[in-house]
Amino acid sequence: MTDSTPVPDNEIDDQGIIQGVEQLSPEKIERIINEVLSEETGAKLKVYVDTCVHCGLCSEGCHYYVSRDKDPKFSPAGKVKQTMWEIMRKKGKVSPEFIKQAAVIAYTQCNLCKRCAMYCPFGIDIAYVLSVVRRICHRLGVVPLYIQDTAHSHSVTGNQMWVKDDEWVDTLMWQEEEARDEAPNLRIPLDVEGADTFYSVIGPEPKFRAQLIYQAAMIMNAAGEDWTMPSMPGWDNSDMCMFTGDYEMMERLKKMHFEAATKLKAKRIVMGECGHAFRSVYDMGNRALGWKMPPIPIVHALEYYHELFSQDKIKIKHKFDRPVTLHDPCNIVRGRGLHEMARSVVNSTCKTFIEMTPNREHNYCCGAGGGVINCGPPFKNARLDSNKIKAEQLFAAKAKGAEVVIAPCHNCHGGLEDIIHHYGVDMELKFLGDIIYEIMEKPEE
Amino acid sequence: MHDIYAILTGPLAWLSFAVFLGGSLYRFISLYQLARKKDGAVFQYMDLKFALRSIAHWLTPFGAKNMRMNPAMTVVTFAFHIALFIAPLFVFAHVVLIEESFGIHWFTLPDSVADILSIIVVLSCVFFFARRIMRPEVKFLTTWVDIVILIIVAAPFATGVWVFHQWAGFPTMTLVHIFSGELMLAIIPFTKLFHMFLFPFTRGYIGSEFGGVRMAKDW
Amino acid sequence: MNTTVKQMILLFLISAGVLIPSFSFCDDYMNIDEEAFTKKQRPFVSFNHDEHNEMAGLEEDCALCHHMYEDGKLVEDESSEDMACSECHAKENDPKQMELAATYHKRCRECHVEKKQGPITCGACHKKVK
Repeated sequence: MTDSTPVPDNEIDDQGIIQGVEQLSPEKIERIINEVLSEETGAKLKVYVDTCVHCGLCSEGCHYYVSRDKDPKFSPAGKVKQTMWEIMRKKGKVSPEFIKQAAVIAYTQCNLCKRCAMYCPFGIDIAYVLSVVRRICHRLGVVPLYIQDTAHSHSVTGNQMWVKDDEWVDTLMWQEEEARDEAPNLRIPLDVEGADTFYSVIGPEPKFRAQLIYQAAMIMNAAGEDWTMPSMPGWDNSDMCMFTGDYEMMERLKKMHFEAATKLKAKRIVMGECGHAFRSVYDMGNRALGWKMPPIPIVHALEYYHELFSQDKIKIKHKFDRPVTLHDPCNIVRGRGLHEMARSVVNSTCKTFIEMTPNREHNYCCGAGGGVINCGPPFKNARLDSNKIKAEQLFAAKAKGAEVVIAPCHNCHGGLEDIIHHYGVDMELKFLGDIIYEIMEKPEE
Repeated sequence: MHDIYAILTGPLAWLSFAVFLGGSLYRFISLYQLARKKDGAVFQYMDLKFALRSIAHWLTPFGAKNMRMNPAMTVVTFAFHIALFIAPLFVFAHVVLIEESFGIHWFTLPDSVADILSIIVVLSCVFFFARRIMRPEVKFLTTWVDIVILIIVAAPFATGVWVFHQWAGFPTMTLVHIFSGELMLAIIPFTKLFHMFLFPFTRGYIGSEFGGVRMAKDW
Repeated sequence: MNTTVKQMILLFLISAGVLIPSFSFCDDYMNIDEEAFTKKQRPFVSFNHDEHNEMAGLEEDCALCHHMYEDGKLVEDESSEDMACSECHAKENDPKQMELAATYHKRCRECHVEKKQGPITCGACHKKVK
């Protein structure tokens, strides 16, 4: 790659988008857009677009806008103006170049975190509007390369990370073996019928963060949980197709996941500390499949930990003694209202808890969610420049004494890790599970 | 003058009310049917309690965080909307016209109060206009239609004040006053002014989503 | 008449006596049904009866305005110049006299619109006192 030239700031370097756009014709764009608008959307989109009075009050709700020195192009309504307003005004007669820009905006300049919905006086769900733009881009084949790769993996393997069936079981057995050094009788029970708890994780856990499975097994073991994990596809609860706009695949994935649990006659699904996966099973995927609420009770790790402490299922040796702050992930806070439970767990496990501001529903997004981090290196610098405010928020918490940031979400972890490095925040990042594992009493045999 | 007056207060008045009511009804029914056909889920998640909870928060001055972040806008917006409804509905001159035509009347405001309310509406429109051209994030979103609507909304109130104080040329201005009021009413169903009817639904839906599914606040 | 009303009329007459000269009214002008409107919002309508009727050619047609109704039916060939409009058209206990005001408005304006002459807007009759 000696002949590579730097890409100018206003250009993008993403082959998924560039090559996708090359294959477009105005006729195809118009046809696909009108198909999506007339077949897949209705009054909701129309009302959202028609009701917006262009007041700009959503702007402050968006961390992109705030971080980008209040550049109006990054305000929530500003992004809709550059995409959906034009699309609807021109009834789909937009150029390939327009689609290219729309894809960059919809996929990489919005985390679909829904914070702006709380700032719009009309409660317009702007994330929904940008999801429709993503849907159009997906149908046109204009999707950032890296996230499309994970979507391909989902469609081929049923998981996000090209983990093969045997590698999955191998990984579980490997983690079980490791953990047995610490807890000799520990098992990671595979395919147990009728267990209380069906535990599912996201693809990156076996791929990059196998120790999280180890920790979860230790916690379940210590709590005496009647639990199981599936040996076959359906174990991955993650869903990048939901974010690319590939809703057909999203439905297939959620079906696999729900069916893996119901086949084993599990009473509930407990899932790891992941936000977007929770969104996919509790908000998007179940609805797409026609379930008003999930067909089987869904328990996020945070709720599960709360249950452990409120029911005294687990004992701790001592509280975690470094001062911590808590990052509220959008998908389980604005998506499920787990913020008070999170605080309860943090207070049960940590000596000193320092709030970052804003917090709870009003917390700033990590900048990684909504599939933005999954769009990969071509957009990494832009992503970090677009979340200066998060760094400032972390610095402020640090100034109040916090040393450790707890982020009970994989995406948030990825996003915050990058921010902490890029801005030199110098704080340590942990999952809640990391802390619980560290301080809990491990049953001696 | 007399002919124009006769048209403005006769056929055009009826026309503007008909367009306003008929157009609003048409938009409502068509949106409802479209929602039934395409957004069936919306009806599943609509929840009266959470919808009202959200609406109540957003109809209370400073009841949402965003309102506290923009105090000037909050004060002006509330004053504007309240005055916008109260002044025309309860100004004596309007109520007496209703009495003349339909033999019914209701509570009326002292003229001085109606005068102040109308001035509030006009000044609010000036504020909104200034915001539209001065705040970059609002300017970016503003279209010429937004400006025209703002003028159409301000016009009946500005001319109303003019006529009330009998400034130069007020008889002609009375005609402009009547026409601009009719125009404002008639464009409601076909412009962003329709937000007056859609607000409870957009707010109510996001309130239901946040309250019933997401178990979070939306203010 | 009870004393309050008497006092009010007296008060009004005194104030009118003070004010009218400064308005430089001619004697021909009359303020319509002043006593009936106790709560005044707009300036009173000063109406030159004779001049109006001369211009409008109404000298012989008194009953056009000063009509007479009995049991809800218009009595032809009868007129009511000796009565105040408020004797029939005013409501008791209505300080704003909405119906009376509406009656005047309709009487004047409908004719003016029909004949395409005369004032029709609020301020053209309720002139502000300069």
